[in-house]
Amino acid sequence: MYQKWITRGLEKGLTDIEVFATREQSLKLTVFQQKLDSHVTSDVESIRIRGVYQGKLASVTFENTHDETAERMINQLIENAKALTVSEPAIIYEGSPSYPKVSPADFDFSSVPVLDKINMLKKIEAGILKSPLASNVSTTVYIESNTSTTIRNSKGLNLVRDANYAYLYTVGVFKKDDDIKTEYYTKIVKNYQMLNPDQMIEEVVYKGERKVGGSSVKSKRYPVVFSNEVFSEMLGMYSSTFNGQAALRNLTLLKDKVGEKVLGDNVSIIDNPLLEEAPFQIPFDDEGVACGPRYVFKDGVFEGFLQNLKTAKMFDVAPTGHGFNNGISPTNLYLVPGKLSFDELIEPIEDGIYITDTSGLHAGGNTVSGDFSMQASGFRILKGKIDHPVKMIVCSGNFFEMLKHVKGLANDLSFDISSIGSPSVHIEALTIGGEA
Amino acid sequence: MIEKQILQNLIDEGMSTGADFVEIFLEDTWSQHMLVTNGDVSQLGSGNVHGVGVRLIQGVDEVYGFTNQVDEVHILSLVKNLRASFKGEIKSSVPLGDKKPYTTKAIKQMEDVTNKERAEKLVALSNLMKAHDPRIIQAIAESVEKRQSILVANSKGVYQDDVRVYTRVFVQAVASENGIMQYGYEAPGRYAGFEIFDMIDFEALALEAATSAITLLGADDIKPQVMPVILNNGFGGVIFHEACGHPLEATSVAKGLSPFVGKLGEKIGSDVVTAYDDGDVDGAWGRSSFDDEGKKTQKNLLIENGVLKGYLVDYRRGMIMGMDSTGSARRQNYKFPPTSRMNSTYIAPGKDKLEDIIKDTTHGLFAKKLGGGQVSPATGEFNFAVIEGYMIENGKITKPVRGAMLIGHGKDILFKIDRVADNLEFGQGMCGSLSGSIPVDVGQPPLRVTGMTVGGSGGQQ
Repeated sequence: MYQKWITRGLEKGLTDIEVFATREQSLKLTVFQQKLDSHVTSDVESIRIRGVYQGKLASVTFENTHDETAERMINQLIENAKALTVSEPAIIYEGSPSYPKVSPADFDFSSVPVLDKINMLKKIEAGILKSPLASNVSTTVYIESNTSTTIRNSKGLNLVRDANYAYLYTVGVFKKDDDIKTEYYTKIVKNYQMLNPDQMIEEVVYKGERKVGGSSVKSKRYPVVFSNEVFSEMLGMYSSTFNGQAALRNLTLLKDKVGEKVLGDNVSIIDNPLLEEAPFQIPFDDEGVACGPRYVFKDGVFEGFLQNLKTAKMFDVAPTGHGFNNGISPTNLYLVPGKLSFDELIEPIEDGIYITDTSGLHAGGNTVSGDFSMQASGFRILKGKIDHPVKMIVCSGNFFEMLKHVKGLANDLSFDISSIGSPSVHIEALTIGGEA
Repeated sequence: MIEKQILQNLIDEGMSTGADFVEIFLEDTWSQHMLVTNGDVSQLGSGNVHGVGVRLIQGVDEVYGFTNQVDEVHILSLVKNLRASFKGEIKSSVPLGDKKPYTTKAIKQMEDVTNKERAEKLVALSNLMKAHDPRIIQAIAESVEKRQSILVANSKGVYQDDVRVYTRVFVQAVASENGIMQYGYEAPGRYAGFEIFDMIDFEALALEAATSAITLLGADDIKPQVMPVILNNGFGGVIFHEACGHPLEATSVAKGLSPFVGKLGEKIGSDVVTAYDDGDVDGAWGRSSFDDEGKKTQKNLLIENGVLKGYLVDYRRGMIMGMDSTGSARRQNYKFPPTSRMNSTYIAPGKDKLEDIIKDTTHGLFAKKLGGGQVSPATGEFNFAVIEGYMIENGKITKPVRGAMLIGHGKDILFKIDRVADNLEFGQGMCGSLSGSIPVDVGQPPLRVTGMTVGGSGGQQ
């Protein structure tokens, strides 16, 4: 089928054409109040075709996989290519000389009976509700996904990669007096046996009980410690400024800063598609370029943008293997951890804020300016120790400025489900908005 | 698509193991996207979303499956797969009825527009922003046209199609000076085709985006404090959407997670607050003729003079709550079972004038343009970002401020609204929730909240 479309595209006058096909089979189970709340199964194949016509590259996506639709879409692709006025490289890739070996993601999640999965969710919900402060568990979700991706093009490239994972998610609701707090837990695994419901219950209850009953603080600047989870989210948001496309479009402050020291000496950020500790290992990107580890920032120096085929050519550098989803994205991106335990990290802080939850970063974070303001909650740090819970505050600053003032990095690197990782981070000071 | 009799047979197959509700949702969606950056047409894309979703319900238990293989054989195998979850007596279905007419007024659908025509409009807007000021370093104009064709057939006899045509245009200007970068944007959308360009003055909006970016270059960061906030009309309605709209959706009410559970007929806001969600506002971005369960959309009163009057309800959660559907079942596409969602949600206009409200405010913030926000339905806490704000001092608007974030609690905020102006406007956005990302309008006249926590990085000691 794919080969037929490639031939058809070439007949229609495309100089090169590529089919990128994904087939995802998934299962999603949700439990609420000890009953199965939803049960969703899927099997979807989607196609993206990219083609070069008169030196311009355009793409189309479709899910109706009949030949008539493919024909219509190839015609549309040609119409789209004709309308492009921008002068940019149009590259369909012949392939990298070699590709890294990654351990196969071959666990068959469907071999575990659905009833076992439902019972696990019920167990998690019931376990959390044993806490005297837990008033509800708003959702408990299990998702498994099996995705096979094929890239085939007119330059002879023919690659297949598989991703196979399961994902657990729950939200415990904790109540003390009039205060309500939620505690989220997410875990992504490559093997069903790696799911540990007991540990999940323990962690949700411990964190949830601890954070409920908080109050606001007086508005001023405080030393701030971000939890590894919160900093991963921020790094994920601002990672869009590390890509070559953002630079070409004047949408990043890092433009023209390659080789310059822009962050503090103690800040290094690495993208490593092959990292074993991360949820996924990725041998090649969506354009067929081999992936490999690289520094994005090394000791505060900006080492260069993440590139796809097009932007690499425009920057006159080698492609970095970050062409994903028709754009540019990191693979397993992480802030390099330090050596301090969490207790050692907060030990020097007389009066500060430890932020464990945020909300609204997608709206209050500005990737163009680097500025952010986000709703936050967590704990007061007093005399080097975690004190009482804090809620309804706004934490504001500038992402790039902040990373010039990192006072300490813990050794607790962890990755979120988007494969962004961070340790807990101590920032010298940020503005906290709370009570008058 | 699939013939009516075949759908009837598939529904009956679904009923054969005890399910008492079976629904088949067919979708074929086409989209066309163009991006212009600094006067160049730099990206074009065409897309097709195509598939079927099947839902079986027994009591209130639901199973759902979806695939892009839309033919009798694949749908039957999906139905058989799903019905295995249920055991019980065979129920009979109501025979599929007749389709009712839908209204789609779109004049220029995507096939009627050439790329040349698109490019002319967008390049002109990009150039206009670029020429506005030498500090504008990037001027983006983007259009997204979409046509979603759906057909819903269910065991209650519903057999309904709908064609929804949406067009949205996005203009963004990025300004840079002395190492500082700021941007301004506008993103209006309509339930319409490419004639949106005849309906809206995009030149004016492009200039506004450029002006906003330049203004923000010279703005101060706001100092965090608690103070009165005047929320402008249009996208200012995002506050109601986040703080009250989501908690009024059956999705959270049926689970008992919303602060508004059991509060029907009770006072949940001040007397000046009346609010609606309307699925049938002519030409509105959040509109459709029928919802994704095939029910006619309608205007739903949510709050009247501060008293809670209604929720937004879909079929399944309606059964849990003992309420009828309000025509509010929506989903991004066939990959999601439908849930109760908003369409065009707004606070009704009052009698005040914006100028008078400003004049009567000694010290406060005028939130002229709002960005997005987020709410936690379980806690009721919400936040939203102010893209462009101005300080109000002694009844007058003074200097611009940037980077403000407003936070609050859903159950308090409606009581703190003390003044509502008379000029209602809508703003457009994409709303993400359980059943995916869907187009919605938020709306309100300018209104004042007596006190809110405003965060920002200004006033550093």
